[in-house]
Amino acid sequence: MKTLLIHDLSPVDFASLGLGPSDDITVISDNGTIRHCIGCFGCWIKTPGTCVLQDGYQTMGHLLSEYDDLVIVSRCVYGSYSPFVRNVLDRSISYVLPYFVTINGETHHAKRYEHDISLAVHFYGDDITDAERATARALVKANSINLHCSVRTVCFHETPHELGEALR
Amino acid sequence: MKIALIDGSPKTGKSCSSFLLKALEPHIAAGNATTRFRVSTQPLTDEEYRELCRMDTLVLAFPLYVDAVPSHLFRMLVTLENYLKTEVNRKKEIFVYTIVNNGFFEGEQNHIAIDIVKNWCVRCGLHFGQGMGQGAGEMVGSLKKVPLGRGPLKNTGRALQEIAENILSRRSAPPLFVRPNFPRFVWCFMGTHFGWNMRARKNGLTKKDLLKHPSETNRH
Repeated sequence: MKTLLIHDLSPVDFASLGLGPSDDITVISDNGTIRHCIGCFGCWIKTPGTCVLQDGYQTMGHLLSEYDDLVIVSRCVYGSYSPFVRNVLDRSISYVLPYFVTINGETHHAKRYEHDISLAVHFYGDDITDAERATARALVKANSINLHCSVRTVCFHETPHELGEALR
Repeated sequence: MKIALIDGSPKTGKSCSSFLLKALEPHIAAGNATTRFRVSTQPLTDEEYRELCRMDTLVLAFPLYVDAVPSHLFRMLVTLENYLKTEVNRKKEIFVYTIVNNGFFEGEQNHIAIDIVKNWCVRCGLHFGQGMGQGAGEMVGSLKKVPLGRGPLKNTGRALQEIAENILSRRSAPPLFVRPNFPRFVWCFMGTHFGWNMRARKNGLTKKDLLKHPSETNRH
């Protein structure tokens, strides 16, 4: 199984997870170059499937189509992913099409790829409130509908050290 | 009362967030000082953050991105939390109202982003007033010639009126979710043919091109 891992950990914390290099895992982390989505829809109507901002994260939408498993590791911030992980997801919308479909009576974007992702989300933080947990769970569920993927797990951890045990 | 109108759209041109703030402003401007803040991909200045801490009310308008707050605005909220916790001259009783718009028809799909703003308020020691979720934001933002409260903007006008009354009386209230007064299938048809397909044609692309994977595009 090929896995795409998106995380916001510092290099030291990531190393402490003890995930050795593997051909089956591709890691997306913050190298300081990511730019914010500018809402131009260029990834849908100008260069379909690829973001127009050339900063190394422009192929995120297509990358999602090449992996069976998507693992997100993020600090839980107000019941959301952290700003970096939010940024990566904002830059991934070309994974779906601009066109609409109806799912459970609601409009959503249609699939670009005949591909299914299994999503696992690991939130961390030592003082996550009950309200933030509820919001985070609702967010992952909504993401799974909009990205046409299934949710394997949503976990909450107090420290990155606990994360390592869950990921290995 | 000092009211900050924070436009969180990253777009440089017209946007639904800007349209909705512009429509709200006349309802809350009388006797109050309103100040516009633009949070685009450029960060706010130190002085702008401090000014926000001295406001009585913050009104945050932004587009829904992947079910949540767009990352550029989210970074600003994280930074503002630090200012609110350390600024000695901050107002003690700050109320926050938020207007979120999404590209889907159903305004209800904005409920998670509203909850995120609510959770942010708890962390910052702010009072959450009310959230409004506007559906079909792309279409609504383009209806500048339609009078607010009429035709497809009937529900939008009512909701803005209600949120304005709550802003003025510093009241908290349940969220308002708005769908345009427009049949969903017509909205969907127009969005497809006069929205996406027409924009694609302006870029020299066909509908078939929009459906392609990048690897297919690169072969041509």
